[in-house]
Amino acid sequence: MKNDLIYVYCISNNPPGLTRDMEPNVVKSLKIDMFYVIVKFVSESEFSEENFKKNLSDIQWVELNAREHIMVIRMIMEFGTVIPIKFGTIYNSETSLKKFITDYSGSLIENFDNLVGKEEWSVKIYCDRKVLCEQIDELSEEAAALEKQIMASSPGKAFLLKKKKSELTENEMDRLCKIYGQEYYDEFKILSEATYLNNLLPNDFVEREESMILNASFLISKNKISEFINTVDVLKKKDGNSGFFIESTGPWPPFSFISIKEK
Amino acid sequence: MHDNIIDRSKDITILELLDRVLTKGVIITGDIVISVADIDLVYLGVKLMLCSVETMEQLKMGNQVPKK
Repeated sequence: MKNDLIYVYCISNNPPGLTRDMEPNVVKSLKIDMFYVIVKFVSESEFSEENFKKNLSDIQWVELNAREHIMVIRMIMEFGTVIPIKFGTIYNSETSLKKFITDYSGSLIENFDNLVGKEEWSVKIYCDRKVLCEQIDELSEEAAALEKQIMASSPGKAFLLKKKKSELTENEMDRLCKIYGQEYYDEFKILSEATYLNNLLPNDFVEREESMILNASFLISKNKISEFINTVDVLKKKDGNSGFFIESTGPWPPFSFISIKEK
Repeated sequence: MHDNIIDRSKDITILELLDRVLTKGVIITGDIVISVADIDLVYLGVKLMLCSVETMEQLKMGNQVPKK
């Protein structure tokens, strides 16, 4: 079947050097106005509205294509600044793709101005509540005071106070998570041009036992990246035994910092 | 090339990936675009996939899988 539909990955402000690794027959750069639109021509059998929606119910197909989407954009990032397009954005013809670029060229230029020389990095912070719970008497004055009371009480009273303490411990852990999360966020925010708070992802989705307490994206000038990475390392060492874990990934295509208003 | 792409980005969880590529970036254009309802279906698929991975791991460990 002929590949008549146009799947768009991203828009670049520089001509990308498409190498053999990037499947030159598949990934193409179309010069439209002053922009380089990175596309591949796809078939209706896979990407017509109906077939595409069917494919979306096949999670392995989605994963393969979503990973390819991001990897192509990452490769294009080597050659210039990019504006990433949402996964699965398809045009029926070059004419309609050109119309979009022309209609939104002002907005695209503004976004490029905002993104040039910057990178998106992600920071996630997790809390191992078991480890935190073991240290609660050292970290919370209230918990320590209650523990003292328990030690000095009769077995009956101690039983009731222990129940009270387990409730208090949960609340205190929530409070400590908020304090740590805010402190870490502030440290990274100082180094950033912009920030974006993402939804916290539930444990079974992130394949970790610990609870996620912060999921943020930071837009950072390239000249501050080493300082940013250094800050991550310092905080990792500082809190290695406290039950808090930092995970940082990047540079991501700047998905979180695109602002294009619909006309 | 697909294999290389998958190998190189295996460290990124599927959800982290989808969280970016499905809901962010330039999201208002295209003759065909994934709708919010489609996105919900994709997430449901991910959840089912992860649940089945968990089930398989339990089987490997020799644990009883609770009947649903």
